[in-house]
Amino acid sequence: MGEPLLSLEGVSRVYGEEVLVHALRDVSLDIRAGEYLSIVGPSGSGKSTMLGLLGVLDLPSSGTIRIQDVEVNTLPDAERSRLRGQAIGFVFQQFHLVPHLTALGNVETALLYRNLSRKERRRRSLEALELVDLGNRHDHRPVQMSGGEQQRVAIARAIVAEPLVVLADEPTGALDTRNAANVMEIFAGLRSDERAICLVSHDLDVAGATDRRISMRDGEIVGDEWQGSVS
Amino acid sequence: MRRFRELVGVALAGLTARKIRTFLIMLGPILGVAAIVSAIGINESSKGDLKAKLRELGTDLIVANAQDQIGGFGSNPRIPEEATARVARLPDVVSVSATLQLSNIVTLPFAEASDYYRAFPVPVIATTLELPATLEVPLVSGRFLNDYDESSGARVAVIGKDLANEYGYMANEPRSIELNGISYGVVGVLDYVLLEPSMDSAVFITFANAVEDWDIEEPDPSRLYIRAPTNTKYVAEEIPTVVSLGGPDGANTSVPTDLLDAQSQVDENLNNLTKMMGGLALVVGGVGIANVMSISVIQRSSEIGIRRALGHSRGTIALQFLFEALVVGVLGGILGAGTGAGVVWLVSEMRGYTMILSVSGLFRWALVSVAVAVVAGLYPSNKAARLEPLETLRLG
Ligand SMILES: Nc1ncnc2c1ncn2[C@@H]1O[C@H](COP(=O)(O)OP(=O)(O)OP(=O)(O)O)[C@@H](O)[C@H]1O
Ligand SMILES: [Mg+2]
Repeated sequence: MGEPLLSLEGVSRVYGEEVLVHALRDVSLDIRAGEYLSIVGPSGSGKSTMLGLLGVLDLPSSGTIRIQDVEVNTLPDAERSRLRGQAIGFVFQQFHLVPHLTALGNVETALLYRNLSRKERRRRSLEALELVDLGNRHDHRPVQMSGGEQQRVAIARAIVAEPLVVLADEPTGALDTRNAANVMEIFAGLRSDERAICLVSHDLDVAGATDRRISMRDGEIVGDEWQGSVS
Repeated sequence: MRRFRELVGVALAGLTARKIRTFLIMLGPILGVAAIVSAIGINESSKGDLKAKLRELGTDLIVANAQDQIGGFGSNPRIPEEATARVARLPDVVSVSATLQLSNIVTLPFAEASDYYRAFPVPVIATTLELPATLEVPLVSGRFLNDYDESSGARVAVIGKDLANEYGYMANEPRSIELNGISYGVVGVLDYVLLEPSMDSAVFITFANAVEDWDIEEPDPSRLYIRAPTNTKYVAEEIPTVVSLGGPDGANTSVPTDLLDAQSQVDENLNNLTKMMGGLALVVGGVGIANVMSISVIQRSSEIGIRRALGHSRGTIALQFLFEALVVGVLGGILGAGTGAGVVWLVSEMRGYTMILSVSGLFRWALVSVAVAVVAGLYPSNKAARLEPLETLRLG
């Protein structure tokens, strides 16, 4: 097994100032290349909190976050953001597409400020849209697309910069069964030896599709099982 | 450079997505700049004709009037002939002419018109020969009085242009006029004298004639016209002393264009007032920008969150919103300056002014608009940068 792409080491996250909420308590977790894992647990158990920390979109109250051995939680914001943009692709339950941009514009947003030519940005974004089967919808705005389509645009946006890890928080949570299945197919198709995919979900079908399943309760990891064939 | 272009692109996309709102926040800078530019422009342009006239006249002509040191109303103060020569020798003086207005002369184009011209007498001025040169006024026709006229005492006269028109005098027509019954041949017509309009309907004769035909004992003038292109002001101050040399004959001097000059000065108070009002409009516009953009930041918090998730730093987010403000300021400034210039042009056309508009002024005020917009953008962009991405993404 290779070096971890992402790792949490003794990470805690406490919210609030007077009333303290211990959303995450002393959690350690490694995610390696090629892994396809899910994080499950009851509502409020700290899944989203952990996902945010894995992607250094949030900072821990204590503990260390590493992206490929680089301690990122102590880096200045600009540097941390740059690493996040390179290493992580986020997908959320609410698709969070920018409403005034077209599908292509939304995907291109992930490639801004990287010293790429307009042409290159466009080419790679179209490629990503084709990967989610929306190449022909590139000039449509979010309001012109169904929820499933919007989520596929969001996935294209998450992968266009070729991140090491895709982090998805309830990616099927706002979708009907058919669209959910479609999205899961896309994730399955994104699996590769260089990349890790990490999904947060309530849905047992979603969790069942992954190789590794991490269970959480009250801000702690209470289970870490491998299912099916382990590569 | 790419980063700059991308920031402008993102800002433009954000602004064009909300056209009405963008236009409304741009109105502040537009109105502010347009108000200042047009007020100053109209103010300047309204003085444009005076300024043009002033350029034509030059501001270096001094008029010295004889003045009795002792005073007294009945007296007819004169400047001694030698004093005129002394003034002419002053270093900055290039030309001096001396004149004396003669009184109690009835001038007639022909004998039958005597009733009318007794009621409205025509001024008769004895003058030295340099008058057209000193006043920088050409002759419309004929010639001015010359040395020969002066030495021979020939009875010749030059008349002003208005008088020539009144008499129906045609260029170079041999014609004489009668001064108290003495016949003078008209040899030339002097063009309009802008600084001394009374000369336009006057008759000019030599001092030799004045002494010969009229009751003048000495050829002493009562008024000097002095052209001093350099140090005009000091020469004007010097002349009374040069004329009197401590004696009883005095003179007071004035630079007739001073008044015009003062009139042509743009009213600074008015300008400052308009700048203040326009500045106020700009500040109010800036507050509007800050206000609307702050609301916009809240409405676009999910966009901000997702951009952060995609790797845009806090600084980049701040810049993105600052660029939106910048674009508003730049476009508002340009549109405002353009509108202001248009208003100045329109008003100048309607009132027949010579339009005066300083291009650097347009730039300056457009830049002020940019500065105001950017300062106004600081608060919302800072607010956008501080948003916690996870919190904005948690909710739809
Ligand atoms: N910004 C915050 N301020 C205070 N408490 C917070 C904040 N964010 C999360 N929490 C709390 O932290 C705990 C963990 O929240 P988290 O969102 O990680 O749960 P979750 O496992 O994702 O739940 P769900 O399945 O409902 O999405 C919850 O008790 C939540 O109320
Ligand atoms: Mg959650």
